[in-house]
Amino acid sequence: MIPQNFDYATPESLEEAFRLLSDPNAKVLAGGQSLIPMMRLRLAAPETLVDLRGVPGLGGIRLEGRTLRVGAMVTHYELESSPLVRKSCPLLAEAAANIGDVQVRNCGTIGGSLAHADPAADYPASLHALEASVRIASPSGERTVSIADFLVDTFTTALEPGELVVEVSVPVEAEGAGVSYQKCVQPASGFAIVGVAARIVKKDGEIAFARIGVTGLSGNAFRATGVEKLLEGTRGDASDIGRAVAGIGDGVDANNDIHASAAYRQHLARVYAARAIVAAVSRAK
Amino acid sequence: MATTTITKTGTLVGKRLKRKEDPRLITGTATYTDDIQLPGMNYASILRSPYAAAKIRGIDISKALEHPGVVAVYTGADVKDVGPVPCGASLPGLRVPHHHILAQDRTYFVGHPVAVVVAADRYIARDALDLVEVDWDPLPAVADPEKAIEAGAPAVHPEWPDNIAFNFHQENGEVDKVFAEAEVVVKQRIISQRLIPCPMETRGVVADYRGGDKTLTIYSSSQIPHLMRNLVAQMLGIADNHLRVVAPEVGGGFGSKLNVYAEEALMGFIAMKTGKPVKWIETRRENFLTTIHGRGHVDYFELAAKKDGTILAMKLKLIQDLGSYHQLLTPAIPTLSVLMMPGIYNFKHIRADIVGVFTNCVPTDAYRGAGRPEATHGIERMVDVLAAELNMDPAEIRLKNFVPNDAFPYATATGLTYDSGNYAAPLHKALEIVDYKSLRAEQKKARAEGRLMGVGISTYGEICAMGPSPATPAGGWESASVRIEPSGKVTVMTGIKPQGQGEETTFSQIVADELGVEMDDVTVLHGDTMVVQYGIGTFGSRATAIGGTALYFALQELKKKVKKFGAMILESDDVSFSGGQCICNRTGRTADLSQIAGASYRAMKLPPDTDPGLVATNFWEPPNFTFPFGAHICVTEVDRDTGAVEIKRYVAVDDCGRIINPMIVEGQVQGGVVQGLGQALYEHGIYDESGQLVTGEFMDYAIPKATMVPWIETDHTVTPSPVNPLGVKGVGEAGTIGASPSIVNSVVDALSPLGVRHLDMPLTPESLWKILEGARA
Amino acid sequence: MKIAGSHTLPFAPERAYNLLQDPQILAACMPGCEQLVKIAEDTYQMKMKMVLAAISGQFDGKVRIADPNPHTSFRLIVEGTGKIGFMKGDGRLTLAPKDTGTEVAYEGDVQVGGTMAAVGQRLIDTTSKMMIKRFFDKLCEKAGSA
Repeated sequence: MIPQNFDYATPESLEEAFRLLSDPNAKVLAGGQSLIPMMRLRLAAPETLVDLRGVPGLGGIRLEGRTLRVGAMVTHYELESSPLVRKSCPLLAEAAANIGDVQVRNCGTIGGSLAHADPAADYPASLHALEASVRIASPSGERTVSIADFLVDTFTTALEPGELVVEVSVPVEAEGAGVSYQKCVQPASGFAIVGVAARIVKKDGEIAFARIGVTGLSGNAFRATGVEKLLEGTRGDASDIGRAVAGIGDGVDANNDIHASAAYRQHLARVYAARAIVAAVSRAK
Repeated sequence: MATTTITKTGTLVGKRLKRKEDPRLITGTATYTDDIQLPGMNYASILRSPYAAAKIRGIDISKALEHPGVVAVYTGADVKDVGPVPCGASLPGLRVPHHHILAQDRTYFVGHPVAVVVAADRYIARDALDLVEVDWDPLPAVADPEKAIEAGAPAVHPEWPDNIAFNFHQENGEVDKVFAEAEVVVKQRIISQRLIPCPMETRGVVADYRGGDKTLTIYSSSQIPHLMRNLVAQMLGIADNHLRVVAPEVGGGFGSKLNVYAEEALMGFIAMKTGKPVKWIETRRENFLTTIHGRGHVDYFELAAKKDGTILAMKLKLIQDLGSYHQLLTPAIPTLSVLMMPGIYNFKHIRADIVGVFTNCVPTDAYRGAGRPEATHGIERMVDVLAAELNMDPAEIRLKNFVPNDAFPYATATGLTYDSGNYAAPLHKALEIVDYKSLRAEQKKARAEGRLMGVGISTYGEICAMGPSPATPAGGWESASVRIEPSGKVTVMTGIKPQGQGEETTFSQIVADELGVEMDDVTVLHGDTMVVQYGIGTFGSRATAIGGTALYFALQELKKKVKKFGAMILESDDVSFSGGQCICNRTGRTADLSQIAGASYRAMKLPPDTDPGLVATNFWEPPNFTFPFGAHICVTEVDRDTGAVEIKRYVAVDDCGRIINPMIVEGQVQGGVVQGLGQALYEHGIYDESGQLVTGEFMDYAIPKATMVPWIETDHTVTPSPVNPLGVKGVGEAGTIGASPSIVNSVVDALSPLGVRHLDMPLTPESLWKILEGARA
Repeated sequence: MKIAGSHTLPFAPERAYNLLQDPQILAACMPGCEQLVKIAEDTYQMKMKMVLAAISGQFDGKVRIADPNPHTSFRLIVEGTGKIGFMKGDGRLTLAPKDTGTEVAYEGDVQVGGTMAAVGQRLIDTTSKMMIKRFFDKLCEKAGSA
């Protein structure tokens, strides 16, 4: 790799990171699985890379009441393999396990992935289904936004210049909930052509609660509330699911590229949504 | 590394032995081109055309030259007297564009080299590349070979507005008559798409000129160091004995390094101009854009047959996408397809017409199988199309048409002589392994359940051990020299150039068996024209069949001399040589190899009419090619909802003649099958209408990863080749050749209830989904 | 690669058409546009800085309006070249009244070459659409305040 010349900084505090990032030509390095390939091609040429690995408080996964708090610099591999995550938020662990390949999962971080906002990233489907929130910090303070507000558009987030993602919070999964993330993998890059996450809670044999998140279908991941409404109150059998997912892509401007046409993506969204829901229903107690 | 301690003569050939090469490869201690560091070395970075076709109105290098650390910048004008990038193939009437090492006033494909910056390090060189200013005038381009030969298409080379580089015709028998009278004729257009070879190690060149010695050394990741020496010497106008080419460790070639590229001569030119060594390492992006691609066929097949399934005749119109220039073998590759178009079937009437077409793309050339996968894919698909037409079982129709065992040596309709074969044997074995009858019963059941299960068979034949010299552009022999050192250790110098095929191991096995030494006592040297006598290289599954045979004959010669020295030491006229020692057959006294070697070099006394030393060299000219064959069976299921193909089972039964190391053969077959699977399911080098390569990185070009590959069951039948004393045929390309038709035949079989007769590669889920949608509608 | 889509503008076709041909409005609304200078009838020279995710690049280019069919359609050709490659968009915009506003439908080709083309084909469609959306959003905002 022959990138343009750059400085490499390893701040040891958030304050130091903010100071370094006040330079408009500095860029955060939070795993680098999207940034480094762009630098290799010289499509990205930051003058300074600010590696957040040494900043205390950005790592770690902890449980706080009914909330699981995941530091921005937690790697996909940590999420995939953490017994705590697997138990308290299995959907997040499943999403992490579906990202790229082993090397990507060892380096890439949840905060880096979110801030990059790739429209085919795996996390957003699950984070929408989990109604996750994102804690953002800047030199002037902190704020927390919902995932729906955080992911604005293709490669566009609610982050203002100078702000950093510091933590992602998800609810601890309800007792007996069934979850699943199903992904159609693009064989070249490993990104999702379409990925659908489902959370189902059953009560007396009926779906009492459904949350569905979709990634890869369009320029931005979204929560399929229409599908959720159609599922809730049904027994979740094949015909219920078929009816519920039929309109998952209605009004969605589906992506169209050499890997999948818009029509095929729309179709895959229905197929993978049904698969995710079937799996989640079967896992729900 | 103690691989084995067996030293008894004749026991290592045929054994599963771990490769001697692997420890250095898997511990990262091998020396590749990029590992070579020379004092005072500069680095080169190459500016390439972003347009498929463009006029260069001007190039301003002044800013780049001013950039600190830049040593020199060269453009087309500086190198116009360097000889053209060579095309080694000759065909009647072939149009050969003059292929300058840097573009002159026009570029012909995206990636075409335009200027080169030489600087103190590779970062500076790359930085300064952005300072070279080119005034471009983009021109219309054409990337599709069928569109390129339509009237009014943009001319790739203005001097040849029809875009046709050559027409080639071959015919045997009474094709028109047989077709006119045939009971059945089937036709099919079959595409073998453009593929990108993607070796793990990209290309790279280091050039070092020693003015005092007037000697240029070029290190290059190459399959053919000796041929490169001859050709690059010509390009640079220097004597071949003033050019040393070294191919260090080569991290995969697959045919893409069976070539001479602009960069070898360019780096040589720079080293001579600047008087300093220079290094250029190809980036992955450059590898996609500028290293040769493979395949690129549009084939129109017609098959004439009797109602009972007997194949009578074949017609083929082959449109070959050549790209913008001829690389070393570009125009010759489709002629190999024609040679192998009858496959292993017994019919005599053929007609083939090739149209070689220029497009504004990177040239196509040899890629694993080189012409034979296209031919095999064609004939194996056509046999299935015919079977479907006649409602016959694909195994049955094949068994009916195989060249019979008593017909060898068999003269084919295309002028070849198949050396040996028992074509039914691997098919029977494969059918037995998969339990074909039960498999068809299972398929019937699956269909009743609405599942799309398919069984695909391919019975391939291929042409290997390239080849007798009259049939090749630059000599088809191979050389070996064996030297028993004074210590009794053995050094082999071979003209082949392994890039993963494992000949350091297999050749050591042959030497150990013949001389009774340990494998570890054998060193196999290759790839350095200053160390190794002239040779040809590794490609066309030739290295063991020809290079191994040269080694075998050199060893026989050497053994005679060893015995002479043994007889002298033992003072006997009745000695035998076995297990690494000479034995007096009368007294039982022995002299071991180190004793004999010591005496031969010390030369206090010499046997009558015998020179000192223990060295023997052989240049072996093969009397024929070899013709391996095999049967692959693939079981698939297509997901009705998504069109995704799942390979449920893959069985490969290959016959590559006698096997020297079964583990290496299995590795070659498995790797080959994976590359064929890549073509069948994933890979496609796509140029858009304007000539931009849209699959120009691994982000868009899918090669199979370990997790995408099914378990591949391998087995063998052994039909020795009579062409060489080892009885070996070659196996480097077999897996790739057998794989794509077995997979496609399987998926076509899966979708046959929907009326599907043919599918073009790659079988992407979306392309199959569209068919499923059409059937639902 | 083909792209197509549509956006609804909250003003009548006549105003929408005029706004879409107003160089000042175009300069203000085209994402990354830093300069737009008229060099011929219907042709403008453009300087543009594209910033997208981690990618950034400077482009010099041209914007040309062709085949005008007042208040109903016109052709827009945007070309840019820079260190990271070149891009060319050539499309037809068709305006039709929709309720009290105008529906602007576009259909055309986007071509990307050079290193930029290596970034991943999947991104070209989504990012082109996003840029077009940004353009129309900005247009509504500018026209609203004008």
